[in-house]
Amino acid sequence: MTSGFSAAFAIAKKDIIIQFRKKFEAFAMFLFALIAVIAFSFALVSGGSIPADVGSAMLWVIIFFMGMFGFAPIFLSESETGTLRGLATAPIPAWAVYAGKVIYGFVLMGMVVIFLVPIISVLFGFSFLTNLALTIAVLIVGILDLAAVGSMASALTMPSEAKATVFPLVYFPTATSGLILLIEITKSIVLGDLFIGIGIMGPEQTVMLLFEILLAHLIAMLTLSASVFHFALSP
Amino acid sequence: MSTKAIETSDLTRRYGYRVALRKVSIEFSKGGIQGLFGANGAGKTTLMRVISTLLRPHGGTITVMGFDPQDEPEEVKKLLGLVGDKPLLYDELTGIENLRFYSKLYGLQSDFFETQVEELSQRFAIKTWLEEPVKNLSTGLKKRLDIVRSLIHNPELLLLDEPFSGLDKDTTEDFQEYLNEFRNIRTTIVTTHNLAFGAQLCDEFVTLRKGVVVSQGPISEFDQTL
Repeated sequence: MTSGFSAAFAIAKKDIIIQFRKKFEAFAMFLFALIAVIAFSFALVSGGSIPADVGSAMLWVIIFFMGMFGFAPIFLSESETGTLRGLATAPIPAWAVYAGKVIYGFVLMGMVVIFLVPIISVLFGFSFLTNLALTIAVLIVGILDLAAVGSMASALTMPSEAKATVFPLVYFPTATSGLILLIEITKSIVLGDLFIGIGIMGPEQTVMLLFEILLAHLIAMLTLSASVFHFALSP
Repeated sequence: MSTKAIETSDLTRRYGYRVALRKVSIEFSKGGIQGLFGANGAGKTTLMRVISTLLRPHGGTITVMGFDPQDEPEEVKKLLGLVGDKPLLYDELTGIENLRFYSKLYGLQSDFFETQVEELSQRFAIKTWLEEPVKNLSTGLKKRLDIVRSLIHNPELLLLDEPFSGLDKDTTEDFQEYLNEFRNIRTTIVTTHNLAFGAQLCDEFVTLRKGVVVSQGPISEFDQTL
């Protein structure tokens, strides 16, 4: 019998290969993100840049909505073609199927974000270089968090006849708490030395605290989703 | 160790308010080919899905090859192969990529996998089609590939839900011959609404009507008029 982790990577690899051959979701996500960035840059840029608080929110709102293109169909196509039954009857733990989809969602969004961030940096007049390590860490944890929430929301809405309506109703409230943290941390990166922290905490303390809460959110989402995922596979 | 492949007692499953299986109590022996008969909507597919761990029962008990699918789903899954109404194949992948993907999920050794692919692809005449994306294959070829997929890990329990629909005469005969060859070492459960065909193929039978068992026993006791 194969281990849960190797099964998860096999599922993710299979989905990535299929995505490269179909190209649909990645292209739709990238196109949406590009149009949104250009539209916002025309509307909001004044004096060569967007205000940091508005720009940080715009960045994550674009990634958040972009995720809807990628995550909504993550289980839908498997459910409609019947291949989900192949995964559900394989001798692997149910969480491995969930983990495979999270890895796939992370890679899919990661590919788009790699192209998107430099474009945003230029068009919004942002510099992420003031704290590159934190930028990379926030993007990784943020995308993983959205992938964890999006994959579970997609699985939960699978049995519904109104998937397109129900998916945002599940995805929005569960992802919003992580989204607020991501916006605050990104704001601190873009502001650099101008960031003064929240309340009585200094800037570094604030960022560390926000990042720890974000990590806790990610761990909670992954653990909770993985532990109940067998109910989604075998209703 | 139980001598029964499947044992259910008062098994109930609902879809919303509709009862698909109502207090179903059946027994299928290990080994041989067992038939699950009934008209469309009788509950055959629902019962197959409960056996294969795809659905949870809402009442009663079930054991599959001596294991409880609720408590030990992975033990059950290791033993079973499933051919359903739709092929469990990815259209964008080639035949061999599909088989390789499932072999990873089943943790097969590469030499065992190669031997199985060689033997089964020749047996079901799909060897020349293995490098082709599944979306380019005809319905019959997809079905044959799906049968190979279900057998790739050499399952002890084979669940076939209307397996001969979409197959041409030659492939149907080849598949029947294959099932007969393994009759003594593997348990095969076949659902069909073609009662004459089922009576000819199976050793034991259960007939369902509207989710209720109306008859069961050795095939010699089967009455097609019921």
